[in-house]
Amino acid sequence: MALLSVRDLVVRFRTHDGTVNAVNGVSFDLDEGETLGLVGESGCGKSVTNLAVMRLLPSPAGRIEGGHVYFESEDLVGLDESEMRELRGKEIAMIFQDPMTSLNPVLTIEEQMVETIKAHKKVSNKEARARAVELLAMVGMASPEKRLRDFPHQFSGGMRQRVMIAMALALEPKLLIADEPTTALDVTIQAQVLELLSRLAADHGTAVILITHDLGVVAGMTRRTNVMYAGFVVESATTADLFARPSHPYTVGLLHSMPRLDAEPGELLIPIEGTPPDLRVMPAGCPFAPRCAWRVPQCWTENPTLEPITATADVQMTGPNATHRAACWNRPTAEEAAAGWPLRAGFVAAQDPSEASR
Amino acid sequence: MLRFVVRRVLGAIPVLFGLSVILFLFLRLLPGDPAIAILGQHATPQLIAQIHETLGLDKPLYVQYLDYLANLLQGNFGASIIDSRTVVDTFLQRFPVTVELTIGALIFAVGLGIPLGRLAARHPNGWIDGLVTVISLFGISIPIFVLGYTMVYIFGVQLHWLPALGSIDPRLGVTAVTHFPIVDAILSGKPNAVIDSISHLILPAIALGSIPLATVTRITRAAVIDVSNEDYVRTARAKGLTQSRVDDRHIMRNAWLPVTTVIGLQVGSLLAGAVLTETVFTWNGVGSWVVSSIQNHDYIVVQSLILIFATIFLVVNLIVDIGYAFLNPRIRYS
Amino acid sequence: MTGPVASAVVRAAPRASRGLWRDALRRLVRNGPAMLGLVFIVIFVLGAVLAPLIAPYDPTIGSIVQGKQPPNMTHIMGTDLLGRDEFTRVLYGARISLTVGTVAVFFGLLFGCLIGAIAGGAGGAIDGLLMRFIDVLLAVPGILLAIGIVAWLGQGQIQIMLAVGISYAPIFARLLRGSLLALRESDYVIAARSMGASPARILLRHMLPNALTPLIVQATLAAATAIIDVAGLGFLGLGPGDPRVAEWGEMLTDSARFLQSAPYLIFFPGAAIVISAIGFNLLGDGLREALDPRLKR
Repeated sequence: MALLSVRDLVVRFRTHDGTVNAVNGVSFDLDEGETLGLVGESGCGKSVTNLAVMRLLPSPAGRIEGGHVYFESEDLVGLDESEMRELRGKEIAMIFQDPMTSLNPVLTIEEQMVETIKAHKKVSNKEARARAVELLAMVGMASPEKRLRDFPHQFSGGMRQRVMIAMALALEPKLLIADEPTTALDVTIQAQVLELLSRLAADHGTAVILITHDLGVVAGMTRRTNVMYAGFVVESATTADLFARPSHPYTVGLLHSMPRLDAEPGELLIPIEGTPPDLRVMPAGCPFAPRCAWRVPQCWTENPTLEPITATADVQMTGPNATHRAACWNRPTAEEAAAGWPLRAGFVAAQDPSEASR
Repeated sequence: MLRFVVRRVLGAIPVLFGLSVILFLFLRLLPGDPAIAILGQHATPQLIAQIHETLGLDKPLYVQYLDYLANLLQGNFGASIIDSRTVVDTFLQRFPVTVELTIGALIFAVGLGIPLGRLAARHPNGWIDGLVTVISLFGISIPIFVLGYTMVYIFGVQLHWLPALGSIDPRLGVTAVTHFPIVDAILSGKPNAVIDSISHLILPAIALGSIPLATVTRITRAAVIDVSNEDYVRTARAKGLTQSRVDDRHIMRNAWLPVTTVIGLQVGSLLAGAVLTETVFTWNGVGSWVVSSIQNHDYIVVQSLILIFATIFLVVNLIVDIGYAFLNPRIRYS
Repeated sequence: MTGPVASAVVRAAPRASRGLWRDALRRLVRNGPAMLGLVFIVIFVLGAVLAPLIAPYDPTIGSIVQGKQPPNMTHIMGTDLLGRDEFTRVLYGARISLTVGTVAVFFGLLFGCLIGAIAGGAGGAIDGLLMRFIDVLLAVPGILLAIGIVAWLGQGQIQIMLAVGISYAPIFARLLRGSLLALRESDYVIAARSMGASPARILLRHMLPNALTPLIVQATLAAATAIIDVAGLGFLGLGPGDPRVAEWGEMLTDSARFLQSAPYLIFFPGAAIVISAIGFNLLGDGLREALDPRLKR
């Protein structure tokens, strides 16, 4: 039984300027102790999906308008606020992108850590404080007792993120959601923090969802990865498979637009043309069609669903043998994925039928 | 932190100096002979000569200023032409009245304003928010004197709930010891005097506090909304803390910072507004004294009073700034 | 080798923006309370400007015999102690409030912007000196500064205009100086410079519109305060000083002792002040929202 099971999740934001369709039917599973990467550009819905899991969407604008989130078989969508509060911090924890703004500037680290512990466990201040020292030592902070009394602005960015990790793991949650934990940090610190996260999760058996826009971050960190675009999951595979055999044009585009040290000299960076979609207007077909080099006429009219790339009867949603699935009517072949664009002779990307009639 | 305090205090001193220069010139640059302007109808050659003597009007200007400055630093603020009492004497008698009025207004503005602001922020654009916005609008659009008379008419004349004028009923025979109306009433040991003095404070405090109420409410609302959208509030919720804990420890502790700054500025509004409030409700504070001094051409008093008002305002702002630096760990520990 | 063939289709933005001012105007017109404020202002201005035409009586003439009449058919707002028609006096009082108030704001803008522009433009020691001077002015809180200046200059309409104007100058000075300083170092001005735009063009097209908007908002809000401050001065007996002239604040002082017997003499001028002030405050708030859409409510 999966620890977390998201089924057909739909999240919309109602604003002055219209309704934003942030998440449009996302489904995935996560086993205990498994690490899942969630990759996509800004606005693809990766953060919103996880805020929805935690039921932390900004209200009243953001609302879950469909689907289920099963955590240990309980549907979180139906729970009321006090029940959710018991889970937050204790069973499911979340760390955010910018550690400077994610910590309260007028409270000491001690106060912020102790309140987390005492919110869920009946312990004395002394016990909570001792636990806080223990946690800070665990994340590699020097002289933790002294630093407890400091304020967030007195720490460096990397240290602050370690504090956030320590706070998140204080109650040994079963699931840790890390929303772009290293994006705001210097590159040299990024590796340290990711390594720390990886080690602690393994030590405690914590499942991790790692959200990032950088494919390089998930490599070596996660067992499986989902790629998201415009509120849909467009490809899902083990991380190794994803890099070896990307099967969605967007994933191919992502891989080829990353500068790499081991690239051949003279090898071109191939940017993905076009701009991210306006989520207020959901197209009839595949949302990636306007930017896709592989599109065929069907892409403009029908939105593909996630299907295994090689036909198989037994679909595995999780684990080291998870089925590699992609949502595409015209998947790139292995050679095309390596090259970065369609290689079929005479292939021309299908035109937008609404434009053709002009 | 210490450096910050020292810097602020040092920064305030030139401002006071500049003000003293301007006020010094104010008296010397009155159209015509200042002595005649001061004396008005009572001008006789004798009195004119006397004023010239007192103010040293025949000496060169810079000497006059140094004398003036020396006097100020020794606590000599001059005397009133009308009743010959020194400014300091009358001030000590009248100032407590203004202080009581100001404190009353402040308690009203802050005590009502902060809860209202928080309430409005909890449901932005809801009906409470709309009501609070309307109250704020009226607060800054109704002059103190219009509000004062309107309230006196409704509560004093028609409903007879609250008294109209003065700080206490003189028939109760409360002796003036500290010159704080309520404190003197308490000291007199007569319970109905205490009740009476408090009931006399209500309408003037509301009238004076109406503008600060509007401002404090608006700023509190804005501060709470801004802070609620901050990342650390989201973190607090993600940790599973109860809403009230999030409100108090995380939101309010941070929202207090801009609010305290505003409260400091509002003291200025209160000092200026006291002039109007004391006139409407005929309280014998320094506010009404400024008005009567101007009407009586008692310019020495006017000059000294403005200087004192400004000094009080500057000192209060200084205290508020230091208080803010103390509350904000980023400044306190830098 | 050929590159990707995909033709990018960029969806058009929902509404093409047509310039800062036209957008702001559109937002303003849609703002209900701001339009209500505008209505109030129009009523106020029309009343003031058309007073000689629409006032039923002469504001200075009245007989004591007809004094202190409550509102009736011949005098819709009643008569004051001296028998003068209250409605007429309220209308003529609007003229004073309008002229003195707007000129005061204009003076404030003039002095303030002058000081602010020099301070912000010159920088250095001049900036420091001017800002110290502003600090001195700001040390005397609120209406007290205007009171002091009127005490010095004496009574009269022009003196009041100067006094109230000078008491607003510091706010405008700080606003303009702040805008200029911030804009000088702002990213888009540096960007414009790097594209070779001349200083004049930068000033006109980039800096001025952004420096202007807070001033416009503040000036509108200051108009509300000016009406109240002018009436306040009149109330304290520091008004224009001409007993024949009807001024709202003075009308209140004169009628204060009749609060019990003739409350309408306080109500009508008071309501006139409040409505005019509300008008400018609503419009000012609306302008602020319209001109800076980034500001969240």
